[in-house]
Amino acid sequence: MAALSEEVLLVVKRVRQRKQDGTLYLMAERIAWGPEGKDRFTVSHLYADIRCQKISPDGKAKIQLQLVLHTGESTNLHFSNESTALKDRDAAKDLLQQLLPKFKKRANKELEEKNRMLQEDPVLFQLYKDLVVCQVISAEEFWANRLSINNVDHSLSNNKQEVGISAAFLADIRPQTDGCNGLRYNLTSDIIESIFRTYPAVKQKYGENVPHNLTEKEFWTRFFQSHYFHRDRINTGLQDIFSECAKLDEKGLKSMVFQGVKNPMVDLLSLEDKSLEEGYGSNSTAPSTSNTNKTVKENSNSAIIKRFNHHSTMVLAAGSGKKADAPNGQACETSSTDGNSRDSDFFQPPIKKVKIQDVIEYEDLHRENGKKTVALNLKKSDRYSHGPVPLLPQQYTTSQDIVNSVNCIKHEIASYKPCLTQVMSSSTASSAIAALSPGGVLMQALAQQAINQMVPNDVQEEMKHLYTAAGELLRHFWSCFPVNTPFLEEKVVKMRSNLERFQMTKLRPFQEKVQRQYLSTNLTGHLEDMFQMAYNKFHAWQTRRMMRKT
Amino acid sequence: MVRAITALLNIEGLLVYFPYDYIYPEQYSYMLELKRTLDAKGHGVLEMPSGTGKTISLLSLIVAYQREYPLEVTKLIYCSRTVPEIEKVVEELRKLIEFYSKETGEKNNFLALALSSRKNLCVHPEVSSLRFGKEVDGKCHSLTASYIRAQRHSNPSLPSCRFYEEFDAMGKQVPLPAGVYNLDDMKDFGRRKGWCPYYLARYSILHANIIVYSYHYLLDPKIADLVSKELSKKSVVVFDEAHNIDNVCIDSMSVNITRRTLDRSQANVETLQNTILKIKETDSAKLKEEYRRLVEGLKEANVARETDIYMSNPVLPDEILQEAVPGSIRTAEHFVGFMKRFLEYLKSRLRIHHVVQESTPQFLKDIFEKVCIDRKPLRFCAERLRSLLRTLEIADIADFSAITLISNFATLVSTYSKGFTIIIEPFEDRTPTIANPVLHFSCMDPSIAIKPVFERFQSVIITSGTLSPLDIYPRILDFRPVTTASFTMTLARTCLCPLVVGRGNDQVAMTSKFETREDFAVIRNYGNLLLEMSAIVPDGIVAFFTSYTYMENIVASWYEQGILENVQRNKLIFIETPDAAETSMALEKYQEACENGRGAILLSVARGKVSEGIDFVHHFGRAVIMFGVPYVYTQSRILKARLEYLRDQFQIRENDFLTFDAMRHAAQCVGRAIRGKTDYGLMIFADKRYARADKRGKLPRWIQEHLTDSSLNLTIDETVQLSKHFLRQMAQPFKQEDQLGLSLLTLEQLQSEDMLQKIAQIAHQA
Repeated sequence: MAALSEEVLLVVKRVRQRKQDGTLYLMAERIAWGPEGKDRFTVSHLYADIRCQKISPDGKAKIQLQLVLHTGESTNLHFSNESTALKDRDAAKDLLQQLLPKFKKRANKELEEKNRMLQEDPVLFQLYKDLVVCQVISAEEFWANRLSINNVDHSLSNNKQEVGISAAFLADIRPQTDGCNGLRYNLTSDIIESIFRTYPAVKQKYGENVPHNLTEKEFWTRFFQSHYFHRDRINTGLQDIFSECAKLDEKGLKSMVFQGVKNPMVDLLSLEDKSLEEGYGSNSTAPSTSNTNKTVKENSNSAIIKRFNHHSTMVLAAGSGKKADAPNGQACETSSTDGNSRDSDFFQPPIKKVKIQDVIEYEDLHRENGKKTVALNLKKSDRYSHGPVPLLPQQYTTSQDIVNSVNCIKHEIASYKPCLTQVMSSSTASSAIAALSPGGVLMQALAQQAINQMVPNDVQEEMKHLYTAAGELLRHFWSCFPVNTPFLEEKVVKMRSNLERFQMTKLRPFQEKVQRQYLSTNLTGHLEDMFQMAYNKFHAWQTRRMMRKT
Repeated sequence: MVRAITALLNIEGLLVYFPYDYIYPEQYSYMLELKRTLDAKGHGVLEMPSGTGKTISLLSLIVAYQREYPLEVTKLIYCSRTVPEIEKVVEELRKLIEFYSKETGEKNNFLALALSSRKNLCVHPEVSSLRFGKEVDGKCHSLTASYIRAQRHSNPSLPSCRFYEEFDAMGKQVPLPAGVYNLDDMKDFGRRKGWCPYYLARYSILHANIIVYSYHYLLDPKIADLVSKELSKKSVVVFDEAHNIDNVCIDSMSVNITRRTLDRSQANVETLQNTILKIKETDSAKLKEEYRRLVEGLKEANVARETDIYMSNPVLPDEILQEAVPGSIRTAEHFVGFMKRFLEYLKSRLRIHHVVQESTPQFLKDIFEKVCIDRKPLRFCAERLRSLLRTLEIADIADFSAITLISNFATLVSTYSKGFTIIIEPFEDRTPTIANPVLHFSCMDPSIAIKPVFERFQSVIITSGTLSPLDIYPRILDFRPVTTASFTMTLARTCLCPLVVGRGNDQVAMTSKFETREDFAVIRNYGNLLLEMSAIVPDGIVAFFTSYTYMENIVASWYEQGILENVQRNKLIFIETPDAAETSMALEKYQEACENGRGAILLSVARGKVSEGIDFVHHFGRAVIMFGVPYVYTQSRILKARLEYLRDQFQIRENDFLTFDAMRHAAQCVGRAIRGKTDYGLMIFADKRYARADKRGKLPRWIQEHLTDSSLNLTIDETVQLSKHFLRQMAQPFKQEDQLGLSLLTLEQLQSEDMLQKIAQIAHQA
C-alpha cells in the first residue's frame, strides 16, 4: 500500500464508490478508498480539504455518506455490507465528525498570512528564528503585535463587526419527523452560538452539565424536550434542568422591567396624569380576581407573548449590547443615574427635554438655515484651548527645601578646608592633563571606522541580529507600561523572564565569543545597558506593587 | 429679509405672531375658524389631522386674542390627556412666548404653567420617592392636612413638610413671576425657593394667563370642585385629543362596588366607631362642636382647606344642597349607624344569583322599603363623612377610600334620577361559576359631567385629529357649537396610503366578525398579511387587534402554525401585555430595533394604552395594520344600557353609535403612524367591512379622501403590490421646495387672493 507508515484509524470493508466495491480507510490526516483487489487508492482526500459530510436519511434503502470538498466536488460512498451497513456508516460518520473540526481550524487563513509575511520580510524571519524558534518568546506573543501593527488593512478584519443574531434562529432548527414517532433537530454551531448568546441561562446550564453529567447530544435532546423550549406548555416539570432557566429569564425580564425605560415618551406608567381611584370608572375589572380565574390556555397564551418579548429583547441585546451603550454619552449618563429612579430626576430633564423638543419640532416650517454642522465634542475644553501641558514631576522641591540646601552649601563652603594629604601628585596630574589634551592618549580619534575594521563582518552581522531581537523584546517589554490590567501584569513578568533568557542564551555566548577574539572592545555594553534599564524599571514597578499590596 | 415684515399673520384683523417662517394652509384656516368661535363667544368642534401643527396654531391665536382683548378673554385653560402631552404643549408655548419677546422686544408678562398631580410635582424627598400616585397623595395629606397642622401647634414633634410650611408662610405674598413653567420648571422653582410646587401651582392657576392640565381637573367633580372652582368665567377652555372625552366624563361619575369594597368599608366603619368612642371619653367637646356646626349648616366649605383634597363632593357644584345636614345623621354615632345600615343593605343586594338592572328611583324606593333609608340623608352622606373624618382627625385618609367610595355612591345615587343606571351582576360573564358580585352604578350620559363646563366658560373648544363624524359630539355632549369644522391635510405628495384588505389570496373574506373570527382560514390570512408586509415594509410596523383576548388567541395560533417564526426572519416581534411596565419596555426595545435598522413589529391592542398615547413617527411606524374593526364588547350590560339611553334621549341608533365608536378607535390607531407632512406610512384596514360606506364614511376626512374605490376590498397580493409601489415612491427625497406653495406657504403667499380662496375650501363645515 502506498502509505503504510500512516496510522490507520478505521477500516471499513465493502464500501462502494462509483458502483465499484472497495475498502474505506480513515487515516490520521486523510480519508481514502481503494477498489477491491488493488493496492492503491483511487480516492484520497485530506481532511483539511473536506468541507462537510452528509448522510442519507435513515429510512432510505441505500446507506450512503457524501463528502463535500471545499472545491465543491463531492464523493459518494455507499455502504453495502447488508448486515452492518448502518453501523459501518455511523462509525465512519462519527469518526469524521471528530476529525473534521480539528483540521478545519488548522487550515485557516491566518497561518497563510503569517507565512507570507515571513517569506517577504527576511528581517522578520530572522527575528522569528531568533525569538520563537529558540523559544525565547512564544509564537503567539510574537505575532500578537506584528499582525496588528504591520498590516493596517488586516487590522480591520481582525476586529471585525460582530455579527448579530437572526431573530428566527429557533425556526431554523426546523424539526423533522423521522417516521417513527421521533423528531430530528438540526443544530449547527451557529445556532448553538445563537442560543447561547440569546439565552445565557442555557449557556450556564451547558457549562454546568456538559460533559460531566451529560453528553452534548443528551444535553440538546433534553433542551428540545424541555418545557423551556416549548414555552406554550406551562412549565411544571421540576426535574427538568431547564426549569431554572425559565426562572432566570423571568427574573432578568423582571429586573429589566423594574429598571424602567429611559425615554419618557414611551413610559406608559407615567402617561396618565390622574388615574381614577379604585372603584370609580365605568369598566373596572378587579385585577385581583383576574389571575385566579384564568384558564390554562390563557396562561399558556400569555406565556407565549412573554416569550416573544423576551426573545426579541435578548436578540436585540446580543446584537447591539456592548456597542449601543458606548457611543452615545447620553445613554450612559442616564443609565448610570437611573439606579435610583425617582431621586435622579435632577439628571433626567436633559434627555426628556431633548425628546420633547424633538417631538414638537416641525422641521419643514423652518427656513433651512445653513448647513448643519457637527458639534465638536470636547472631553476637556481647557486642554483644547491651552494645548497639552507637560506633566509636572511628582516630586518637586519646596522653596523651604531650596533655602535649606543653599544654607547647607554655604555652610560647607564656609568651613571648607583643602585636604592636602589626599591630593594627586603633580606628575600624575600633568600626565592626566596631557592624556586629555588634544593629541593625548585618551583624545585619540577612536572613530567607528576603527571598530568597523576591527570587527569582522560575521560578528557585525550577528550583532545586528542581536540588536533587532533585543529591540523587539524590549519593545514588548516597554509596551506593557503603564501596567493597568491583570493581563499586562502577567505579560510584563513574562517579558522580563524572556529578557533574562535572551541575555543568557544569546548575549552571553556572543560576549564570550567576542571576548575570546577581541579582548579590549566592549561591543555589548550598550545592549547590557538597555537590559539593565529594563530590569530597573521592572524592579521599581515590582517594589511599588508589593508596597501597594501590603 | 422678508421676515421682519411678515412675522405677523393677519387673521381677519387680528394680528397673530406665529413662531415659524412658513405656515401650513390648514393652520391658517384653523386659526380663522378659531377666531370666529372666540368672537362669537361660543363653543367649537374642530378636527384637524395630527402633525399639522394644531397645538401651535391654537396657542398662537389664543395668545394673540388674549393680548388684543384682555378684557374679553382672561385665561386659557388647555386640557390634554397625558403627562407627555401636557409637557409638549408647555414647550410649544414656551417657544411662542420667546418668539413674542424677541419680536416685540418687550419683556414678557405672561404667566403660563402646567399643573399635574402630586406625583409629578412633589419635591419632598421622602414623599416623592413613592411609586404610586395614590401613595404620594396619602403621604402628602398625612403631612399637610389642616388638622394635622393644627395639632402640630401643640405638639411640634409631629412630622411636617417643610416645603408646604414655607409655601404657606411666604408663597402667597408674591405671585409667581411671569414666565412659562413646565412641570420640571415648577419643581426647580419650588426647590430653589423651598416652596411646595404642587400647592404653588394650584394657587397660581388663579392668576395665570394660561393653564395646562389634564381633563380630570375640569371634568371630575371630585377634583374640579377643589382645583378649578374659582377660575374666571371669561376663560377659553380647550380640550385637545378630545375624541374620548365622553368616556372621561362617564368614568368620572361612575362607581363600582364589589364585595371587597364592602368588606373594607365595614372595617372602616368599625374603626370610625372605635375612634368615636375614644374621643367621647377624652374630648367629647369636639363632637359637640361638630354637631353645633352641622346644625348651623354647611359653612364648612369655607373652612375647608386646600389640602383636604380627599373629601370632596362627587356631585356637581350646582347640585349640592345648601341646607343643613338632616337631623338623623347629625350626631357621629347616628351617622355611623346609618352607614352600617346602608352597608348591610348593599351587602344584601349583592347576594343575588341573577343580574338585576334598575334605575335610581327604583333603587331609592327599594332602599326605603327595606331599611327605611330616606333620600335626603343619603344625599348628605359624602358631606357628612367629610366632616366626621375631619373631626376625628384621621391622618391616613387613604385607608378610608372604601367608605368614601360608598358615601360618594350614596350621594350620587340620591342626587341624580336620570342618566344613571344600576346593574348588579353576580358573576363575570366569562366565568359564570365564580361568584364575584359587582354593583355598577354607571353614568350613561356624558353631558352631565361636562355640562357645568359648557355653562360656565364662554368658549369651549373640542379638538382632535379624529372627531368624525363631527355632528355626534355635540349630540352626545349636549351642547350647541357655533363652529364645527374638519380640516384636511394639504399634501404636496400623498404621504398616507389607506388600503382596505378584504380577502386573502384564497378569496376567503377577512374579517374579525364574531362568527368567523375563530375561523382557521381567517387567522391564517391575517398571518399571511403580516408576513408579507413584514417582508416589504422598512423599519417599524405596528399592528392593532380589536381586543386583548383576540390578540392572545391569534398570536397563539400563529405560533402554532409557524407564521411568527417566518415573520421573525424579517423583523423582531414585540407584543403589548396587560402590564404597563412590561409594555413600556417592549415599546422601548421596539424603538431601539427600528433605530438600529433591524426592524420590528409591535402587536398591540386598539383602545389600549399604546393606541391612545404613543406616537410612531417616521421610521417607528411605516405601516399600521388594523386587524378587524375594533368594536367595543357589545355584550356588556353597561354598554347596552348606555346604548338604550342614547337611543331614547338623543335619538342615536345603537348601530350608529357602535360604528362611530369603533371607527374613532380605528382612526386613532392608524393615525398613530402619520405625524406630519414629512412623515409617511401605510394604513392597512384588514377587514372587509371597512369597505362599506357606513364605515368608510365615519373615518376622518383627511383619511377618507385618500381612500379611493381602487383601494377597497383588495387581496393580500394586491395590497403588497400597492404598498411596494407606495413605499418606493415615498423613499424618494422630499424637499422643502416640493411643498412650498402647495402645502407650505410663506407669509406673502398667504396674502394672495386666490390662495385665500383655496384655503377657504380646506375647512369643511359639518
